[in-house]
Amino acid sequence: MTQSDNRKGAGRLFVVVIIIVILIVAGFAAYALSHKPQTTTNKTSLVVEEGEFPDSLDPAVTFSTPGWEIMNQIYQGLVAPNGTSVTTFVGVLAYNWTISPNGMNYTFYLRHNVTFSNGDPFNAYDVWFSIYRSIIMDQSPEFILGQNLAAGNGINFNITANILNSINYTNPNSTDLYYMEYPNQSVQVVNPYEVIFHLGYGYNGYHPYNAFLMTLTTPLAAAVDPRVVEEHGGVVAGSTNSWMDTHAVGTGFYELGQVIQGQSITLVKNPNYWGNYVPKDQLNYAIQPAILNTITIEYKSLASRIADLKSGTAQIIEAPVQDYNTLKTIPNVNVSLLPIIFGSSQGAYFVYMDPVAFPAFNNTSVREAITYAINYAGIIKTVFDGYAVQWIGPIPPGFPYYNQSIGNLTPYSYNPALAAKYLAQAGYRAIFPNGTVVNRNNPFPSVNFLYTSDSTSETEAAQIIQSNLAAIGINITLTPLTFPAYEQVVFAPGNETTQYPMGINFYTEDFTASIDYVDAIADGYYIGTSAYYNNSVFNASVNASATFNQTAIIQNFSFITHTMYYQYAIDWLYTPYILSITASDVTGIIPNPAGSGAGYFMFYNTVHYT
Amino acid sequence: MIGRKELILFILKRVIFSFFVIIGTIIIIFFISHVLSKNPAALWAGPKAKASTIAYVIKEYGLNKPLYIQLLNFFEGFFTGNFGIDPVTHQPIASEIFYYFPNTIELVLTALIFIIIIGIGLGYISAVHFNSKIDDLIRLLYTTAWATPTFLASILAVLIFTSYIPILPSGGMYSPGLTPPPRITGIFVLDAILTGNFADFIDGLDHLILPAMTLAFLNFGIVTRISRNGILSVKWMPYVKNARAKGVDEKKINRYHILRNGLIESNTVIAVMFGWLVTGTVVVEEIFSWPGIGKFAYSAITSDDYPALIYVVIIFTILVIIANLIADIMYAILDPRIRLGRGTR
Repeated sequence: MTQSDNRKGAGRLFVVVIIIVILIVAGFAAYALSHKPQTTTNKTSLVVEEGEFPDSLDPAVTFSTPGWEIMNQIYQGLVAPNGTSVTTFVGVLAYNWTISPNGMNYTFYLRHNVTFSNGDPFNAYDVWFSIYRSIIMDQSPEFILGQNLAAGNGINFNITANILNSINYTNPNSTDLYYMEYPNQSVQVVNPYEVIFHLGYGYNGYHPYNAFLMTLTTPLAAAVDPRVVEEHGGVVAGSTNSWMDTHAVGTGFYELGQVIQGQSITLVKNPNYWGNYVPKDQLNYAIQPAILNTITIEYKSLASRIADLKSGTAQIIEAPVQDYNTLKTIPNVNVSLLPIIFGSSQGAYFVYMDPVAFPAFNNTSVREAITYAINYAGIIKTVFDGYAVQWIGPIPPGFPYYNQSIGNLTPYSYNPALAAKYLAQAGYRAIFPNGTVVNRNNPFPSVNFLYTSDSTSETEAAQIIQSNLAAIGINITLTPLTFPAYEQVVFAPGNETTQYPMGINFYTEDFTASIDYVDAIADGYYIGTSAYYNNSVFNASVNASATFNQTAIIQNFSFITHTMYYQYAIDWLYTPYILSITASDVTGIIPNPAGSGAGYFMFYNTVHYT
Repeated sequence: MIGRKELILFILKRVIFSFFVIIGTIIIIFFISHVLSKNPAALWAGPKAKASTIAYVIKEYGLNKPLYIQLLNFFEGFFTGNFGIDPVTHQPIASEIFYYFPNTIELVLTALIFIIIIGIGLGYISAVHFNSKIDDLIRLLYTTAWATPTFLASILAVLIFTSYIPILPSGGMYSPGLTPPPRITGIFVLDAILTGNFADFIDGLDHLILPAMTLAFLNFGIVTRISRNGILSVKWMPYVKNARAKGVDEKKINRYHILRNGLIESNTVIAVMFGWLVTGTVVVEEIFSWPGIGKFAYSAITSDDYPALIYVVIIFTILVIIANLIADIMYAILDPRIRLGRGTR
């Protein structure tokens, strides 16, 4: 045989290879077509697709939206936000409550016949255990309760992990009852169906706290079955419980079905749900039994999520607002911009300047120059296709008291000429829009500019700000960090910021209350607050949180807002909108900014198909 | 053929050498991770953690001890099989590795099968049609595939096969709601076969095909190119001409003289590629939501979870070493001229 025979052989091999590949692909295609992804023809289950797997399944540990989303379906607290409201509440495990005239004591009256999904009965002992467990474990979100509650009273009473682990919660003896019924403590059991929360033991000091009920809607305050915890390692002070991190037994309408680590979590209807036996006229949206049998939350890349929405595999997805125009073109899908309060609850962004870390920022004219140099509208248009709003903090737009606190203030404007004027006034080299350069021999010192490279929007915004500032003569060096490292710089109190005296910062809610933002941004907890933070601001913040008088709240918030505004130490950038994206036959979603379901609602029990 | 004694000595030397490579890697990654992570305790304690919580984490992980003590403690844990608790996920690191690693092996082995079929097949065709249009076409194909960024190929694959032609799942290892087979090897489709669970097997394959094909598409080019070159290098060798002149059947010439000798390098590259693919699955696993060691590594990197990351790197190192060892052994067996560093005479 010759070369041509060789070629014929190769040709045959080529054909064989192609046939094998075609057969493999065709085989799978045929199979896949015969098992086409389920569309919404199955009206008893729902597939939700998001980006990030929960950090933990322990309500005392998880501190992320995906984690809280799962917690809110499996565990329940005493109260929940009332429908779409962020200021009124409905009873969940409590059917009623009263607040003492001085605002320091909250008495909750608990429902009878509530059980955990394993059949264990629920009562006030479980509330007592659950709250102290969260406080003693002392994980990231603990401060939400720790502001007002503590394990000890500072004088003669202190609850420890050992005490929590030693108590018989089913049949408590006299010693057990002594601990739980002791009056001078944060959580006092009155009887198995009545419990009092005494405020004033936390780090806020002896003050009422008008957002206290909202803090109780978080998973931190959810009822955990002490018998289950004790069977699986108990409570260890300052530490997590690895069993509880991956398992969940609550009183909620759903229970944990299947967990495929890193891929999906399936919630199945709790067959023993106590709400099944509550008369219909006594039900509210937060306790009504689930309509759908299963909720599967899959954690996928954005490309996969959009593809699955198109194909009908997923009925609800999370996607950034930048994809709004693309998503609107998908048939049989409802996409809408949620009111800005929802965007605010996920993140309100600003540029900080830290005078302590970078002395040039002590000069108000420098801060004003930077404030007027930033093209806010340009950032919103370029980075978010216009789907974001400029704001004035620290209260984010849409939150209670936002409009009243800003009064007649207008968001910072882009004015390069004014920016250059202020920079020149500060004595630094300044470039005017007409090309004029003044103070040529005194250039502004270069400064590091922090942002997180994990966020494309922050990266783009940082680049625009760099360009804006360069236009007036300020050179910033972009210094991105991964999100966890970035978070440690911007959220850690008293952190060393010399390396990052300037950058993009943001705040996302811990619980839905204006005071949460004010406390964090205005109260010296953040970096770069020295320009405006003083006793007056601190007192205003305390007063705003401690009173139930609406006028007083507004006055205090307004004072803080105006003080910060005129110090120009924080340049309020943008609050992006967030999207509601559902298949057109999905209904029953009750949006609430406190919710984590797909980022914007509390509970899946009301969700169903038309 | 290579002598048994020589081969054993050869492997022994390599194993001893590999041991020191692993120790060296551990020390390097340990120090690099400690230098890069300035305040790991704060990171592990979570955002807004109190000083008391951070102090607990510092004590728990011995971060207050000198670095060399921390390293010694690490080695003690490593050699006693106590990998410790992941400071971020709060789960035993060993159980995390045992969960994620087989998933990656499943993905990589499947991709490797595609790579072998497509890579060698096209390499052979290309060599036989040397300098023809078919050759040009194949070269264009593998160069394009090789040059395509992983994220781009993955996203395109998702868009094409799950959105425009929705025939395959967009991600995950198996359908939620499916009862997985009892864990024997940890490799889903293999366990499904071993337990006779056909539905799981099909569902597993269904999820496997797209990420595996994507990984194969991105990497078959190197095998094609080396196969082509290898075949070309022996195609006109005197012993081939001699065989032909002696009237040996062309099929036998192809099989025993050209392919066997021409594919020596391809075999070794495929062995090396195994380690290469395992370490290169990070992006593919992330985009296809494949719960493998690459996704775990990505998560560990972005959260400064270096206790977990060190073990991931150790796994990667061991795999690369084993892959290279296998390649060396195969090379030595297949080409006696090269074995044991003697080279050709």
